[in-house]
Amino acid sequence: MMSRTFDILGKVGDEQAFRQEIRDWLAEKLPKNWRQKWQNVRDEALKAEVVKWLETRREVGLGAAHWPKEWGGPGLPFAYQIIVFEELSKADAPELDMFGISLFHTPATLFEHGSQAQKDKYLKGITEGTDIWCQGFSEPGAGSDLASLRTSARFEGDHYVVNGQKIWSSGAAHADYCLLLARTDPNGKRKHDGISYFIMDMKSPGIDVRPIHQITGESHFAEMFMDDVKIPIENLIGAEGNGWNIAQSTLSTERGLLIFGEVERLARSFELDGRDARDSWMGDVQFRREYAALYGELQSVRLMIRKLLKELEANPEKASPTLPTYIKLIWGPFLQRYTEFLLRAEGLEAQKWQPAIPGTTHSSRLRINDFLNSYGWTIAGGSNEIMRNIISERILGLPKG
Amino acid sequence: MSEEVDLEVLAESFNEFLIAEWPREKAVAYARRNEAYSADLWSQVAALGWTALNASEAQGGLGMGTPATAALHEALGAAASPLPMLGNTLAIALIEAIGTDVQKAAMLPALIDGSERACFPEPGAATLNADGLVLNGVVTDVLDAPAATLIFLRATQAGKTVWIALPTTAKGIEITATPLADTSRSLGTIVLKDVSADASNVLAPTNAQTADDELMRLAAIAIAADALGGGNAVLAVTIEYMKVREQFGRVIGSFQGLKHRVADHKAALEAARELVEHAASLDADAPDALLAALTAKQHVTRVTAEVARDCIQLHGGVGFTSEYVPHIYLKRAKLNEALFGTRSVLLDRIADMLEAK
Repeated sequence: MMSRTFDILGKVGDEQAFRQEIRDWLAEKLPKNWRQKWQNVRDEALKAEVVKWLETRREVGLGAAHWPKEWGGPGLPFAYQIIVFEELSKADAPELDMFGISLFHTPATLFEHGSQAQKDKYLKGITEGTDIWCQGFSEPGAGSDLASLRTSARFEGDHYVVNGQKIWSSGAAHADYCLLLARTDPNGKRKHDGISYFIMDMKSPGIDVRPIHQITGESHFAEMFMDDVKIPIENLIGAEGNGWNIAQSTLSTERGLLIFGEVERLARSFELDGRDARDSWMGDVQFRREYAALYGELQSVRLMIRKLLKELEANPEKASPTLPTYIKLIWGPFLQRYTEFLLRAEGLEAQKWQPAIPGTTHSSRLRINDFLNSYGWTIAGGSNEIMRNIISERILGLPKG
Repeated sequence: MSEEVDLEVLAESFNEFLIAEWPREKAVAYARRNEAYSADLWSQVAALGWTALNASEAQGGLGMGTPATAALHEALGAAASPLPMLGNTLAIALIEAIGTDVQKAAMLPALIDGSERACFPEPGAATLNADGLVLNGVVTDVLDAPAATLIFLRATQAGKTVWIALPTTAKGIEITATPLADTSRSLGTIVLKDVSADASNVLAPTNAQTADDELMRLAAIAIAADALGGGNAVLAVTIEYMKVREQFGRVIGSFQGLKHRVADHKAALEAARELVEHAASLDADAPDALLAALTAKQHVTRVTAEVARDCIQLHGGVGFTSEYVPHIYLKRAKLNEALFGTRSVLLDRIADMLEAK
């Protein structure tokens, strides 16, 4: 059968037609067996698979679907970006796995704070190439308390010399570049002062990347050891000492779309889980009620995220600053309880181990993997204990301990 | 957009009035008395048009719809106000949906202006036999029956389900109040001995299931909204207390073990709000309207009951005294959980609906 051409971007202006065009495109172009394929490959072979899907998305202008025109993206109105993420999740199209930082954090950082030369040099490698970026933020002694990081960057004429250790860097083993936070002034008044923001070429001598073996059996994260790594001065982003502020825009950049995609993906598998269990645990009154109760929690998370997206669409400046904190504190524990529920409901079968399926975020539907992986939302990105401090102190006005 | 703004203004006006007219001290004092409802407060809110909120403009109401009804019940819950509002909300909706023009003209004005107070039995309560239009039987545990002037009874007539509306003054009706822990509401058992009805009292739905579902949907939204208001109010009171109560030389609100609990409560109530607002925003005939309402009811009443339970604990000894307000919210929260279907009953129904999707 002759494949028709798809003009998704040409449908902007008609949400229904836009949505339908994405559905038609996905129905034809999304490889049916991608889960099996991706599950069985890692490293370069996995990257090749992800790039294949990235290229398919690029054919219709959705390689970097949420990018504005000035970044080299399609410049979709926010409502249409939401549709893209929603339809991709509903169709179980894979996430672009190791390109997460490249597609979200790097452009947001460079566009707001990078020099023209930096934008020119690096963004093409993302929009047209296959550059993988990683993030060098956390350190063994600076997790949720990121500002106490100790990796040092010493200025020496035309370059900085970096020494220290980073941890929890997703995809660092395969990364081409790293968004690095390092301390340029150890004598800052507050610990947030004296931090600077760099682009580190991962091919630089002196970088040693060691994979971290996770409880899931995967090695998604790595440790990075920097031993006299030279970073040229032109790789400093923004002003020296302003790294903490720049890092805030890196971290706040995803505008709810990533979590929206993940939650919609879970909503899809939640429905399938119940349907597939008709002849098993859905016939058990206790599990059945638990499932119905979890449905309410899932709906509340979905509705909170929709509200956030609506606010962002109306006016990003006026969007509730507190809603994202509540969302994280509800979503992470919910995800953990739901995936744990499935373990209890499905017994021994759920304990059988298989390699993870990249690109499925928290909805691989491999029970034990999804459960173990749920800590990604309760620990990463500011642990939920930090979220509780933020809510009780900054929102509810309770005094610091 | 303007609707949303109006709703906020409306909710604000409910709250402002109740904070002024039904402050905590009044709620605490009232809880020690044994009254079916506060007649003074009822006439005040009726005069403000609160009882006219969900009645259509064609019938002389304000026609503000379910979101406004939810906002009203949220405010009533926040103040733990002793008003039998749910009965009027349901009665107006039922009469508008299935009443004849004559019945609408006869019954709606007095419900809308608040001179009549209606009550409805729980779903699954005794169904009377109305053949021959002489009623006998006992309907137990009817919310707000001791405060009502008009009772609605589920009955069968020639094999069909009908609703019968009777004045509490009708000959042969006796209502006995059953004490509740939550004194902000009342419960009664209705005994009927040879009570004569006539056709004007009989409301006959074309589809009994649809009528039942619609009553359940509205009750679920109203109770969920009441719970939401109560949860936020008791949490706010508790946080205030945590900012001033000192132990070991510091305010207890500075202890992380307590702070984290209230942070979780706050987040849970923020999430709960979404379920209430969403359920209230759907039209009655939207595909998931009933599912959303039952989901809101089971979840929000559970969340608030847990928040209120912990708020007594966070208050320490004074939380166990009737001088302080948290017990009022705890009791109201527990009653909300039990009204119009316990959680298990609702979860079973929700599971059925999810399976049928």
